[in-house]
Amino acid sequence: MTDAVVVDNLRKRYGRIQALDGISLAVPRGEIFGLLGANGAGKTTLIRSLVGLARPDSGTLRVLGLDPVREARALRRQVGYMPQAPSLYQDLSPRENVRFFGSAHELGDAEARVAEVMKFVELAARERDPVHTLSGGMKQRVSLACALVHRPPLLLLDEPTAGVDPPLREAFWNHFRGLAAAGGTIFVSTHQLDEAMSCGRVAVMRNGRILACDTPAGLLQRGRTVVRVASGGRTEEETIASTPEALAEFLKRRGLDPAVARVELAADTLEKIVLDLVRREGAQP
Amino acid sequence: MTGILRARAVGGRVLRQIARDRRFLGLALVAPLFVVYLLKVFLDSVDVPFFRAETIAVPAGAFIVHFITYVLTAIVLVRERGEQTLARMFANGFRQREIIGGYMAAYTALATVQSALVLSELAWLFKLDYPASRFASLYLVMWMLSIISMSLGIFVSNFARNEGQVLPFIPLVVVPSLFLSGVIIPVEDLPAWARALSRVTPLYHADAVLDPLLKSGGRLADAGWALLGLPLYGAIVLTLAAFTLRERD
Repeated sequence: MTDAVVVDNLRKRYGRIQALDGISLAVPRGEIFGLLGANGAGKTTLIRSLVGLARPDSGTLRVLGLDPVREARALRRQVGYMPQAPSLYQDLSPRENVRFFGSAHELGDAEARVAEVMKFVELAARERDPVHTLSGGMKQRVSLACALVHRPPLLLLDEPTAGVDPPLREAFWNHFRGLAAAGGTIFVSTHQLDEAMSCGRVAVMRNGRILACDTPAGLLQRGRTVVRVASGGRTEEETIASTPEALAEFLKRRGLDPAVARVELAADTLEKIVLDLVRREGAQP
Repeated sequence: MTGILRARAVGGRVLRQIARDRRFLGLALVAPLFVVYLLKVFLDSVDVPFFRAETIAVPAGAFIVHFITYVLTAIVLVRERGEQTLARMFANGFRQREIIGGYMAAYTALATVQSALVLSELAWLFKLDYPASRFASLYLVMWMLSIISMSLGIFVSNFARNEGQVLPFIPLVVVPSLFLSGVIIPVEDLPAWARALSRVTPLYHADAVLDPLLKSGGRLADAGWALLGLPLYGAIVLTLAAFTLRERD
């Protein structure tokens, strides 16, 4: 089966801003793929390109085996897109918004499906109030419901949990994991490093380029670990790579002296690793 | 899922929004009535003996309908773009023609009410003593002008990213329409280049039908070929609007 998303050397310029600068990546079906990066890194432009809302200047792009510009209609039936801004009709109710965006698709029993997603985003109690009376987090939930309503096999989510409180954010991620386990693909951008840990793989973006693309564990191994060894009343510190191999090497060197009373490890956090990656890239000419 | 069903969904959604937006309804339905009343006050005060007020009042009423409908449509469409609901519609698989078809259907309902109200007020204020067939003809012209004004609003909305940017387009379309269309002075009195330009304004085509209609004993058939002007103009603007409604950047 083809990959859900295949991007090769994608470039897109807005005036003087090079929004995408040679992006290449492939996302197999069933994966939760995360895009991590600061504002202006190019995450939104990449997601908009995948749904055919931004036309690339060069490079190739296949989403579910289709060209997002030339085969937009066929593709959009299979994609659930959640933009960064809520993008809802403020004077309509959550239910009316979900029903309207769902009306572009074959929903089967539309009313039942709308009720189901409203229940999932925990908005059944407010489903008839105008959207402008809802909080920012509630609007995000309505927006997610609009993206989920037609049960798409691919979700393109641009910062879906911004403003959503932690318990509901956890519920969202459980749902994403469930969808991925059932074969769905999720392409999600985020600022939240803890969310990145829930992804199968993560691409770190800056200035329209991918600085690193790896599993969260793989990214963590790019950091350093400080090992503190307390032995005979003294504490020694040594910094090693955060890989299992480096730790084994370190322990072999020490020979695990019977006098060693404690071994403490302080590994770099994902946040520090990502910031180091971004800084290192920024320092390059 | 057919395109017609999707267009119906857009139209239904727009109508629901219109029904809940009292300010919009007020501007679309009550504001033209107020301005037409001011027109009556103005014409009564001028008291020019050499023309019949109705020959000015009916085209001026048409102009008011044109102006308000055009501005409101342009602003609503620009708001759709600014709040990214337009992009979201495209991302969900709605096509340009379905979106425009839906909007046109909903606004046509509005235009039907708006034109009827304005014409009724004109008939009452200016004591228009016409046979029903002439009223029906006047109504048809005003109704078509109203629909064309929406198409023009949708077309112009493509050139603005927010409601602020749409403002300069308002005088750009409306003022030439007033000067060149023949509502104030006959088109024949204009220089050749301005006469050519007048064909670009929708009000010219409306006035070309209204003028013979308002003359004593005038019938719709008296307008001759000019009758084709309005639907043809509408078809061109609507096609332009559909093709230029930007889907991607």
